Amino acid sequence: MNIKIKVLFLTLFLSIPSLFFSQQKEGLSIVEKEIKIKSNQYIREVNFQKAQSFFLEKEWDSTLVYSMKQLSIPTKKSELKNYCHYFRGYSFNEKNIHKEAQFELENISKSFEFYFQVKMLLGTIALKQKKYKKAITYFKDFDGNNTPEFFGTRKSNIEHNLGICYLNLKKYDKAEYYFLKSTKTQELKNDTLMLIGGYVDIANLYYVQYKDDLAIPYFQKAYELSKKTNDFNLKRTATKNMAVVEENRKNYPLSLVYRKEFEKWNDSLNNQNKIWEVAKLEKEFAVKQKQKEVTVLEAENKLKVAERNKLFYSAIGLLVLLTAGGYFYSEKIKSNKIIVSQKVALDEMNATKDKLFSIVSHDLRSSVNALKTSNTKLQESLATKNFTELDTQLNTNAAITNGAYNLLDNLLHWALLQTQQGYFEITYMRLFFIVEQVAYNYKPLLLDKNISFENTVTKKDLIDADQESLKIILRNLLDNAIKFSNENGSIKVYSRNTNDTYCELVIEDNGLGMSEGTRLELLKDTALLSKKENENIIGTGLGMQLVKQMLQKNNGKFNIESELGKGTKMIVSLPKTAR
Amino acid sequence: MDNVNVLIIEDTKAESDALVKVLEENNYNIVGVATSYKDALDLFYNNKVDVVVIDIFLNGNPDGITFAETINVVPDAARPFVFLTSSTDRKIFERAKLTQPFSFLMKPFNELEILYAIEMAVEKFYAQNDVFLSDEEDTVISKEYLFIKKGKSLKKVHLKEIIFIEVEEKYCNIITEKEKFVILISLTKILDLLDDNNFCRTHRNFIVNTEKILEIVPSDNLILLSGGHKATLSDTYKTIIKKIRTLK
Repeated sequence: MNIKIKVLFLTLFLSIPSLFFSQQKEGLSIVEKEIKIKSNQYIREVNFQKAQSFFLEKEWDSTLVYSMKQLSIPTKKSELKNYCHYFRGYSFNEKNIHKEAQFELENISKSFEFYFQVKMLLGTIALKQKKYKKAITYFKDFDGNNTPEFFGTRKSNIEHNLGICYLNLKKYDKAEYYFLKSTKTQELKNDTLMLIGGYVDIANLYYVQYKDDLAIPYFQKAYELSKKTNDFNLKRTATKNMAVVEENRKNYPLSLVYRKEFEKWNDSLNNQNKIWEVAKLEKEFAVKQKQKEVTVLEAENKLKVAERNKLFYSAIGLLVLLTAGGYFYSEKIKSNKIIVSQKVALDEMNATKDKLFSIVSHDLRSSVNALKTSNTKLQESLATKNFTELDTQLNTNAAITNGAYNLLDNLLHWALLQTQQGYFEITYMRLFFIVEQVAYNYKPLLLDKNISFENTVTKKDLIDADQESLKIILRNLLDNAIKFSNENGSIKVYSRNTNDTYCELVIEDNGLGMSEGTRLELLKDTALLSKKENENIIGTGLGMQLVKQMLQKNNGKFNIESELGKGTKMIVSLPKTAR
Repeated sequence: MDNVNVLIIEDTKAESDALVKVLEENNYNIVGVATSYKDALDLFYNNKVDVVVIDIFLNGNPDGITFAETINVVPDAARPFVFLTSSTDRKIFERAKLTQPFSFLMKPFNELEILYAIEMAVEKFYAQNDVFLSDEEDTVISKEYLFIKKGKSLKKVHLKEIIFIEVEEKYCNIITEKEKFVILISLTKILDLLDDNNFCRTHRNFIVNTEKILEIVPSDNLILLSGGHKATLSDTYKTIIKKIRTLK
């Protein structure tokens, strides 16, 4: 007998959670709505947002994490805190960690909107922990309240729970009171599922007290009702209870019938489970099949994309090749143009060079030839001991060599200038002494032509120039002045200080002078070889060209003032030394 | 006044002969003509040389530059020098230029050019630029000598021989044991360049060689110098008595 009763208890106890959940879910829908409204209010609290969304999705672990985060941020909004504690309590309860759940729920202040839900939860937890007295205190709070619904928490459910508590505490009369009260309301509401639970519990209550007469009708009522439902579990429990009851009444055939029915329900429960499993397998299979299709499609897609990319890249490559080809072609045309223009320039330059060569060699040839003939005359004079003749002949020789030397010197400096090989350093210097030094070499020549020479450059004139190139400039200008001077002429070198930045050095002769055309020709940048107006005197033009180029390099300027038959002024402007 | 001693380093006899002739005509004293680097060093260290004229290329090598580099690294041996060259090659010049102070003369050159080049070298070496060509000055002062421009050439006077200097506006009368002459130099410059230990200013117009002081007579504001010369001692400069070693 004792053993049978225990079996009954077990079934009875199992029925509690299922009952309990159904009632909670109803309550929750209202809570959910409220939470959604709250989440819109606290849209800035990221952690709260996450916690609530996970809570609604029933991801308990994530809910715990984010609610913890939210709680770790200090805030004055007690409502937020309450929600978080509620989330945590609920989640812990779902994970069957009752102590934590209880702790979290106790943290919620009484002002919380769903405080009744909280109490309900606390009560249920206490019930689960078999702390029946504690559970009763929680549930009693509702009992006094006459509102039939506390946000979906049905009063009848609470009464039912109270009944279970008292039953377990063996206070049968109180248990009976609550069970009957709860059943009454449930009968009114015609909630079959709950009613079956209620009847079973009442039956159990009586049965435990050995009030079989009272118990059996309830068992039967539960059994009859269970027939109407589709819940195999309930059917099974009701049938099993009937079987045990009949067995205890020694009505074995009936008990057997119930047993068989129980087996049947048990089987169908298993069957249902199996069907579910099969359905699940089928579903998995279908999913796999779909997955396969998807992968095949994906592979196809990849292939297509790869093909498209290949096409795209090859097109780009072609384009790049084309533009590069175009670019190089245009570059080639450009460089060709440059080459052609350079060729023309080079040809010109080469022609000038050739002309220069011919003139220089012609000049040199005639100089050396003159020396040769002069030397034979010298030998003759020496033989006849005609010393006066000897002296004049030596002087002419000196003049010839001097001219040839100057030509060669210019040629050398010209070459150095073209190849940028020469040494060049601009320093400050006193113009007077440079003129003196250069003029010193021309003393014999001046004397020979009886030309008076005076250097009246002031010693104070300081200019910036490269000494060697300045000497070349002065040498050429003096050489020209002497060349174009008549016998007994005069050459004056002086400086004009009309400009602040430039010192003008003037080399003035009163010789042949030149026409305006020649003057302009000489001042031209490119004219290397001036036309030979005066066959005997005018040389290559190399000297003048050298003067202009050297002056340019020395940051100087060059000008000519001349009048045909009256003389020439060669004007060299050089930068003054900044003092 | 003594002639300036010149050492010529030149391997072409015709050219060195011409050079010797020109320099001697202008009262320079040629201490020798070296034709190689070794000769040059021998002659340089065995003679009192004031100026060196160096041909860059000796027997086809730029030994002239090597010589200049050699004497330049010994502080007391260094002397003013002029490079002679017919080469206008840039590379050689870049190397020669490193031997500061750098003076050069392009061959062929005439008398004026070589004299000018030597003067330039002396000026540059003693860092007293633009002295000989200006109208305001004519003397460069070294540690040992005064180099004075006389006509076209240079002369030198040993500082030890100077007894005293009397300043007259922009001229300075230099009185030595042997002679007396005038140089063009500013008072500030001469005071700046003379050694304080040997030369003291005793009066607005007098600078005295302390070695030559025989007696100081403070009561008469008089300094008796060797050779019977006398200089004035003004009150402003009486502190020199403390500087001069006296018997006690």
